[in-house]
Amino acid sequence: MAEVRLEHVTKRWGAFVGVADFDLTIADREFLVLLGPSGCGKTTTMRMIAGLEDATSGSIYIGDRRVNDLDPKDRDVAMVFQSYGLYPNMNVYENIRFPLKVRKVPASEHDERVRRASAMVELDAFLHRKPAELSGGQRQRVALARAIVREPTVFLMDEPLSNLDAKLRVSTRAQIKNLQHELKVTTIYVTHDQIEAMTLADRVVVMNKGVIQQVGTPTEIYDDPANTFVAGFIGSPAMNLMEGKVERGVFVGQNVRVPGVSTKEGPATLGFRAEDASLVMEGAGERPGEIVAPIYTLELLGDATMITVRAGGALVSVKAHKDYRAEIGDMVGIRLAPELCHLFDAESGARLTPARAAGGVRAVAAAR
Amino acid sequence: MRPRTFFAFVGPSLVLMILFIAIPLVSVFLQSFWQTQTVFERVEIENCTPGFPAPNCTTQTVTRPLLDESGRTVTETIYVGLDAYRAVVQPEAVAAAFAAGEDFWSRLSNIDFWKALRFTLTFTLITLPLVVGLGLAIALAVNAALRSLRGPIIFVSLLPFIVTPVIGALSIRWLFIGDGILTNALEAMTGTQIFMFAQGWTIEILMLTYRVWHVAPFAFVVFYAGLQTVNQDTLESAVIDGASRFERLRYVVIPHLMPLIVFVSLIHLMDAYRVFEEVIGFSSQAHRISLQFLTYDFLMPDDSGNRSISRASASSMLTMIGIVILLVPLLMRTWRDYKPRG
Repeated sequence: MAEVRLEHVTKRWGAFVGVADFDLTIADREFLVLLGPSGCGKTTTMRMIAGLEDATSGSIYIGDRRVNDLDPKDRDVAMVFQSYGLYPNMNVYENIRFPLKVRKVPASEHDERVRRASAMVELDAFLHRKPAELSGGQRQRVALARAIVREPTVFLMDEPLSNLDAKLRVSTRAQIKNLQHELKVTTIYVTHDQIEAMTLADRVVVMNKGVIQQVGTPTEIYDDPANTFVAGFIGSPAMNLMEGKVERGVFVGQNVRVPGVSTKEGPATLGFRAEDASLVMEGAGERPGEIVAPIYTLELLGDATMITVRAGGALVSVKAHKDYRAEIGDMVGIRLAPELCHLFDAESGARLTPARAAGGVRAVAAAR
Repeated sequence: MRPRTFFAFVGPSLVLMILFIAIPLVSVFLQSFWQTQTVFERVEIENCTPGFPAPNCTTQTVTRPLLDESGRTVTETIYVGLDAYRAVVQPEAVAAAFAAGEDFWSRLSNIDFWKALRFTLTFTLITLPLVVGLGLAIALAVNAALRSLRGPIIFVSLLPFIVTPVIGALSIRWLFIGDGILTNALEAMTGTQIFMFAQGWTIEILMLTYRVWHVAPFAFVVFYAGLQTVNQDTLESAVIDGASRFERLRYVVIPHLMPLIVFVSLIHLMDAYRVFEEVIGFSSQAHRISLQFLTYDFLMPDDSGNRSISRASASSMLTMIGIVILLVPLLMRTWRDYKPRG
């Protein structure tokens, strides 16, 4: 087992910067997810840890060893690829045994270790089959077993669920989570799917254009996004972001007026999550909402109804009760609690309001 | 695809195959069992010279070609069974050679067919692994070269394949002939006289070298194309798993290229077994002949203008049987790979 440390790691191809000054320590046995859109540098970072790419500058440590100059095979990492990376000419048994064979592990240990690894991913019944005779989920489990059989110090997983259908993705995700818990191996997992990140990770690293945007637990990332990029990337739907300006502590924008958000004056972006707002019921004698606008669209999700209005120069979504019904164009009032709103700098997108203790904020919301 | 559409696509190819491959093949097969020969007649000719009281006459019986009304020679085609094959293979001579004991191989190599078969098989089976190996080595080298160097390297590698076979063989011959550049250079280096064309085995080495040099670029192009489709994830998996460069080649690259290796081998076997240009280009008839050359030799008119069509047909059929025997293992492997799994 090992801690992984990246010190100011940068990867450049000519003038293009793939990863910029990546500085992070991944604790022993931690499940870290690198999350971001395509081209953000998350896979490059993982490939540098694996040794498949050379870092242009900076140092990578696995345990106490600086591994920059070591070959991939000498770094004691195992990697699971998006397209499985299986050997099509070998059956499942031989695929799983391959790392033991080429690493000259005594042959007497092979059978026991292969069968133990295959049992962990429930592949016992398929050992004689070739990869072409397996489903996508089974192939990925072979790749997992091949990674497990070596008992490496670090697991690297590069979007291992991307090629699976939605249902299989959920079950394989659960299997990966369980395996990591059982094996207690430091795991670095790359994905662009924020649900995978939220469900699997001990900590999430959100990246964009080669730069770390935020590092934190899934709850921290969700509740206190460091900037508008993270706010807009995490969550389904993503955080609502409205343009406007703060005047005497009141955020004012198109169809929106939220008092008590900040003392800092000037242009700003106000964000809130769809589930942190509520609709104002007409005729209930309540004060009008902070947003008052005609309904742009209304979507039935089954467990909720999503109401979308135009406010602050953007489309803003709010979750309503599943039985809520209205017509497009009907005026609607939306209530926002200032303590559940997030204020960002209009230019840099950086968070202006201080990060809050997530539990406290949720407690306030629940009390309301 | 609907049967009608399928046949619309395949039909023209089928017709041409029947016309230009199947019918000639059947024709050659039949001709190997039949012999067309001139019909001769025996006639008595009386020659007389003046004499007294009676002229002096002698009567001779002569055999001469039978002529028809228009004065053309009459021919007939008769069934000869396996006579043409016997004439080519000469089983009695083989038996005699076998009976001679230790002199067997030298006696056998005096029979044209066996001499040609020995050379053809050697030529095919030695060039095959060399062509596949060299082609793969060049493909791997080019694939590992800098991207900017690949174009020029590919161009230079392809040059031997572009050269016309006979011209290529002649060029090599001229390089190594008595006063050729390379012979002179080798003589200068070694200080001994070198006669590359004075004995069979040196000519054979030159012929083998030339064929490998000529065909390896074809194998290279096919393998290079195949290398572009190797799954990079699988290759990188092997790197992480701890496989060395050789192990990656053995367990990932070669299995991936195996259908192409089989393809190149099939093509080369068929091509090499019909070796002909080298015999002409290197003028090796006195020392080394191939089965294809033997067929050609039978077809050439002899001193009296006759061509041994049936023996040429028998030789052709034996050549084809040889190719099929060599192809069987590869075809069986291909069949096994594509057999539906039950």
